[in-house]
Amino acid sequence: MAGLQYVLKRLALMVPTFVLVMIIIFLLVRLLPGDPAIAIAGDKASDADLAAIREKLGLNDPLLVQFWLFFTNTLQGDLGRSIMMRTSVSSVIIERLPTTGFLALLAVTLSLLIAGPLAFVAALNRGKWPDTVIRTLFQVGLSMPVFYIGLILLTFLAAQLRWFPVGGSGDDFFGQLYYLFLPSMTVALYTSAIIMRNLRASIIEVLDAEYVQFARAKGLPNRLILGRHVLRNALISTITLLGLSIGNLMSGTLVTETVFAVPGLGRLMLEAIFARDYPLIQGLTLTFAILVSIVFLLTDLFQSLLDPRMRLT
Amino acid sequence: MTRTLMAAALAATTALVTPVVAQERGGTLNFARYDGSRLIDPIYADRNPDIWMVGSLFDTLLRSSDDGKSIVGGLAEGFEVSEDGKTVTLMLQSGLKFADGSALEADDVLFSLDRARNGDLGPWSGMLGSVSDVTADGSTITVSLSQPDPTILSMLATFNTAIVNKDVFEAAEGATDQEKSAAIFATASAGVGSGAFYVCGFEQGASMDFCANEHHWEMGADGKSLPYLDKVHFDIIPDDATRILKLQAGEVDAVEFVPFSRVAELDADPAINMNLYPSTRIIYSPINTRESRADGSANPLKDVRVRQAINYATNKDALIGLVLQGAGQPMTAPLMSSSTRLASKLDLYSYDMNKAKALVKEAGIEAGTKVILTTLAGSSDDATIFAALQQMWAPLGIDLVVEQVDGATRGAKNRSGEFDIHTYGWVDDVNDPSQVTGWLGYSPVRSAVGTGWESAKFNELFEASGKEMDQAARAQQYAEMQDIYAEAAPLLFMYETPFAVAVSTAVDGYVQTPLGANIFSRATVSK
Repeated sequence: MAGLQYVLKRLALMVPTFVLVMIIIFLLVRLLPGDPAIAIAGDKASDADLAAIREKLGLNDPLLVQFWLFFTNTLQGDLGRSIMMRTSVSSVIIERLPTTGFLALLAVTLSLLIAGPLAFVAALNRGKWPDTVIRTLFQVGLSMPVFYIGLILLTFLAAQLRWFPVGGSGDDFFGQLYYLFLPSMTVALYTSAIIMRNLRASIIEVLDAEYVQFARAKGLPNRLILGRHVLRNALISTITLLGLSIGNLMSGTLVTETVFAVPGLGRLMLEAIFARDYPLIQGLTLTFAILVSIVFLLTDLFQSLLDPRMRLT
Repeated sequence: MTRTLMAAALAATTALVTPVVAQERGGTLNFARYDGSRLIDPIYADRNPDIWMVGSLFDTLLRSSDDGKSIVGGLAEGFEVSEDGKTVTLMLQSGLKFADGSALEADDVLFSLDRARNGDLGPWSGMLGSVSDVTADGSTITVSLSQPDPTILSMLATFNTAIVNKDVFEAAEGATDQEKSAAIFATASAGVGSGAFYVCGFEQGASMDFCANEHHWEMGADGKSLPYLDKVHFDIIPDDATRILKLQAGEVDAVEFVPFSRVAELDADPAINMNLYPSTRIIYSPINTRESRADGSANPLKDVRVRQAINYATNKDALIGLVLQGAGQPMTAPLMSSSTRLASKLDLYSYDMNKAKALVKEAGIEAGTKVILTTLAGSSDDATIFAALQQMWAPLGIDLVVEQVDGATRGAKNRSGEFDIHTYGWVDDVNDPSQVTGWLGYSPVRSAVGTGWESAKFNELFEASGKEMDQAARAQQYAEMQDIYAEAAPLLFMYETPFAVAVSTAVDGYVQTPLGANIFSRATVSK
């Protein structure tokens, strides 16, 4: 019951967050230099054409009027019409969301699959060669830009070995798995480096904790100590980090989806910014804000499951 | 006396005289584009990714010849211009059909041309500003002009005058013309156009499919209807490196806009044909010629001697080597590419540092004079241009500073005059030099590409050339305009570049025209 109340409270707190996001993004978009009418009609358009476009889009209305329209329409679920796509913003986002969602989930899964076991190996062999090798490799991964990792993977695994496609997205589950594996791996290599470092440090800290020493003194089997006491406690800070990483991952899709030619929300955001497509930028930002808020909520809930001290009230 | 410019459509003639030969047919050409189409409608296409695809879906009454230097027949098999230059008569081919098999008739032509010249609709209506009326008698179309217009034939060969199916258009969903157009495009079905293809698949910003129009009038070498392909599939891949990797991995058959830094590498690949198609593309930089900058400070570039000096101090061959890896040529015609009709061949500020230094000295330019070059953020070409110009102009005492912005911001700065000098480019949309000349030099249109330069003599010549039906006299007017423009140097004249398209060796017959149009109708892919 306390848990449900907590969730409801958190959901209620999201409302002012979203209103604030709407105000900020509305103003930021309009602070961008450059005229959306030029972005739509091109450099060759006449001044009269540009004036007509501005009038049609309501860009000549006072800012407050424009914001009120955006705010009230959004509350009614209407994010407006995309200027460049000439269709409703909601439909474009709904069309692209599954691709980006799949990419993000696959990236998180791969990050955990890579970082988890290696963090354990490194922590349990602290200061020895496996620890050094793992840390060095991840340091390299961390120091390389995401787009560069992507290009390396594309060049060798896709263009030369032809194990994966160079770009695009699949139609069904297995198609998506095949097409989105490399972009997800690109993101995962970077994210897993952060998670591995954090998890390794947490494991080492927990291994030295008194309750673990006590468990050893009691003669509990090593597997039980690692599973019940070490992993559970070490994961608490890592879960927080994972939540933050997913937030970063959303912005990372801008680069990854462009390099891998994935038609997802990140690439769409980039196109919308260049085209000064105000309704689409606003809709996408709001969508990202909602997704990140949900991830943060889930992170908190999961943390409370792991740590009784963080029971929800 | 009636002056007959052409008697019969080139394609119809070709079909009659060309012996029937075995011809590979069928298959899909996979083409990777740098940007996707948003709405391919003759009158609403306003971006190159839309404009360059119109010709594949919609036919025009007339066409540009393959070399872009003359006008030949299209849907019209013959055309005549009256002696007073105020009437154009066009004879439609018989048996024309749209892609859904319905007949293409004079009513469709009237509907399409009325749409094209309706100022309340698309942005290109001004190109038909001289047209006062369009009427039909059977398959004969009469275009009446309010004044003689030497560009009218070119305009009737331009994408915005392509013919759409009146019945399909009127039956489409939507309250306005634009809504109907968007609905038709989104439906992705045959019927609205008579081009070699119709749109049969579309995912905004991701992919697009063109399927063969089996009713197309134009015949191939085997005496059957063009196109040879069953389908063209487009993938939208903005990243240059990924697009090229797609080709190298064999996932696509062709990629456009290959960066010039990769041309030599792809040229050496035995599985790839690296094509550099001649284009009307010029790269130049408008110079702010106003008395003072937008912020009120003194503008050193207002002095023609300073503008001439930076032109002399710019080593175009070096720039071409750095940016294009040699795949280009210095501009020689100040208002257009040298491949355009009526282009002059001038010695346009060949590199001469001594002359440049003498000019800045004469103009009294002090050492350390700051000039801002506005470039596109993220453009490696622009970054290279800036680095080179900074070095080249330093001996003149000019301290060149870079300001990086995105395309929309650069466009806004150009219009407001808030710049010193900025990178820019141009590709002709029309097979006539009037468009680019009006853009670059005629001050009532966008202040001569934002430079603020104004010449009464130039404007007078341009206006006169818009009515001059005598080709020799018009050529003389253009020669004079180019001399005036070169002398005034409102631009940094840089270079012309080709269109770089890499195709698999399995592909044959694909062409990109000097105006940028992608022509797939004669393309084949070996199986």
